[in-house]
Amino acid sequence: MLPKGAARPRQKDHPLWFLVPALVVLVVFFFVPTLFNFVYAFTDWSSFKSAINFAGIDNFTSLFTNGTLLNSLKVTLVYAVLVALFQNAFGLGLALLLERDTRVNRAVRVAFFIPVIMSALAVGYIFQALLKPDGALNGILGALTGADVSIPWLGNTTWTIVVVAIVHAWKWMGLSMLIYLAGLKTINEDVLEAARLDGANRWTMFRSIRFPLLAPAVTFNVATALLGSMNGFDIVQATTEGGPGGTTELLNIFIFRTFGQGLFAQATTMSLVLFLLVTILAFPVIRYLRKREDVL
Amino acid sequence: MKKPFRYALALAAAGALTLTACSDPGAGTDDAGPVDWPAQDADLSGTTLTIWAAQNSNTVPDSVIAGFEDLTGAEVEVVTIPDPYEQGVQTKVATGDMPDLAFWQPTASQLTALNASQNLQPLDDAPWLDAYKPELRDITGVLDDTRYATLITTPAVEGVYYNKEVFAANGITETPTDWDSFLQTARDLKGAGVTPFHEMAADRWGTQWWVQVQLADAAADGLWDRVNTREELFTDPTIQGAIDTYQGLIEEGLFNEDIKTATFEDQGAALLAGDAAMAVQVNSFFGQLQSLADTEELNEKIGFFPISPSGNVGTFIPDQSNALVAFKTGDADQESAARQLLSYWMGDGYEDFVNAQSTVSLQTDVETPATVPEALLSVSDSLGTSVGSMQASAIANPDLYIYLADMIQGTKTPAEVAEATQSQFDELAKAQGAEGF
Repeated sequence: MLPKGAARPRQKDHPLWFLVPALVVLVVFFFVPTLFNFVYAFTDWSSFKSAINFAGIDNFTSLFTNGTLLNSLKVTLVYAVLVALFQNAFGLGLALLLERDTRVNRAVRVAFFIPVIMSALAVGYIFQALLKPDGALNGILGALTGADVSIPWLGNTTWTIVVVAIVHAWKWMGLSMLIYLAGLKTINEDVLEAARLDGANRWTMFRSIRFPLLAPAVTFNVATALLGSMNGFDIVQATTEGGPGGTTELLNIFIFRTFGQGLFAQATTMSLVLFLLVTILAFPVIRYLRKREDVL
Repeated sequence: MKKPFRYALALAAAGALTLTACSDPGAGTDDAGPVDWPAQDADLSGTTLTIWAAQNSNTVPDSVIAGFEDLTGAEVEVVTIPDPYEQGVQTKVATGDMPDLAFWQPTASQLTALNASQNLQPLDDAPWLDAYKPELRDITGVLDDTRYATLITTPAVEGVYYNKEVFAANGITETPTDWDSFLQTARDLKGAGVTPFHEMAADRWGTQWWVQVQLADAAADGLWDRVNTREELFTDPTIQGAIDTYQGLIEEGLFNEDIKTATFEDQGAALLAGDAAMAVQVNSFFGQLQSLADTEELNEKIGFFPISPSGNVGTFIPDQSNALVAFKTGDADQESAARQLLSYWMGDGYEDFVNAQSTVSLQTDVETPATVPEALLSVSDSLGTSVGSMQASAIANPDLYIYLADMIQGTKTPAEVAEATQSQFDELAKAQGAEGF
């Protein structure tokens, strides 16, 4: 049944057909959809007719001549960079604050991890309510300042994308915190003690020793935050639906809208563009981050 | 170890490619239309019918279902498809999932979006058609000369909801009779320190009514037929002019100050409280008002008049809760039972239905219940002379409202709104295979 030429002793207790169940799942739920994604992008599949015909690069030309796609791509990139920045800043800050293994810290770590396991849509709708012009945040600000505050946090064409990115970062910062905490734990106590004996203060210790030694955690956190948020949809859909004025219209929201119009092939083309964009971005980013790890 | 793995991968890829060569699973049966309309009380024991409904229409059929189940022994199940309803239904149908009946917007663009000729049962010789009031019988639900949708309640009309008390307090006794007097009224109100108009750009969807009511005369003159064949564009003077006028009125300060952040809920509250005198809206806005006040208060405070450039012509826009379609499921018994339910709904069950829903009757012989608020009666009175909206008459329904909301937020100019709408319309029309695109 199995090719005998390549037989090694290990293959006796790990026969190749053990792979089959996992492979089936992988093929059916990952490879086939991805392939379909490539194929349908070159057709005229829509809800308007039953036949699906080959359409060449028609979808690509019409998408790239339409400014909306480029705008969505730009918004997506800005959003991803902002999320990566905030999520790592929050996560690292929390990890440093909660580094010591006290009883209180353990409880607080759990509290900050809860948003990670919450539904993203629920998070989005909660923040939408908090950030409304007559929402709770403005109420608190009003009570503190004594004036009537009605800032439209989700209604500003310049700053709303930052607000939404912070919400996204808030949801996921617990995960970054956990990974930074794990990273901090791996730092050898001897190195820190030597630095202390040399008279390094806390800031120098962090800047010159602890942060460089966190490089693997930074690689993982930045890469997942950056590339993960390029696929963002739920939080933005729940808070702004891409508004105001299209300034938070991520590519996925645009895809959702196009799909809803019945233009299935065009939506597929866009998701192919997104897939390619993430792939193209992933290689240099991960390569650069891995290079930083060379100090280890 | 590596080689067989590669082999498996190649096999999987080949398999996937073969699969892709199939056609759209949404393709329906292509047989001839129904010939028989079963009696309303024919026995249907053991039959289960499924109706898809949206979150705001899933209780509409309750009284009909109860009556039908008693009469025939059938079981009727209402399945709620989450919002956005149209997108959910379209996606399900495109992947081969179909109910027996569904609530659906009976317009040309939305019937096209469901691929009506393939997926829906034609209802041309339905027994209830003659019961309709004559002016409503053929108002909508027809695509390429075939009837696919059954109107069950009055379609929404785009027009002006106004606060009667604010009008009275400012000495306005007659409602405006054309566009010029409409704007004059607004400017007088502004002069008296009242906010004339309310708009809800944060929720976006209401923005398109302002452009559409301005197009009523052109629509009566075949505007949408010309748009449908690309003889006239959104960027041509008629539609572009309406968009420019809308922007001009906003810049003139005739709208609420919080236009960019105001929501649908804010709009209802503002009109009821008299913070704004008028809002150009559709029937669902009145539904919102009904959740804030009882019929007596609404009769006292809220009125409705249609508006168009040259007079008081309304623009009608049926929505999903106004009509039903029956699917070609491929099972003759199920299809026949679905037609029977429609016959009952529009037949013996109709009187119960309008009373339970407290809605305006579409049929000559069934009276409208006395509980229907006055504003809704004005809406349905305007229906007979109204013209079709973009949604009702154009073959595609581009996201004009999103682009208009962008304009209000300041990220698009009026010219860009028209361009974006036209280019999306082109894409949709091309996908449908419409001529000229």
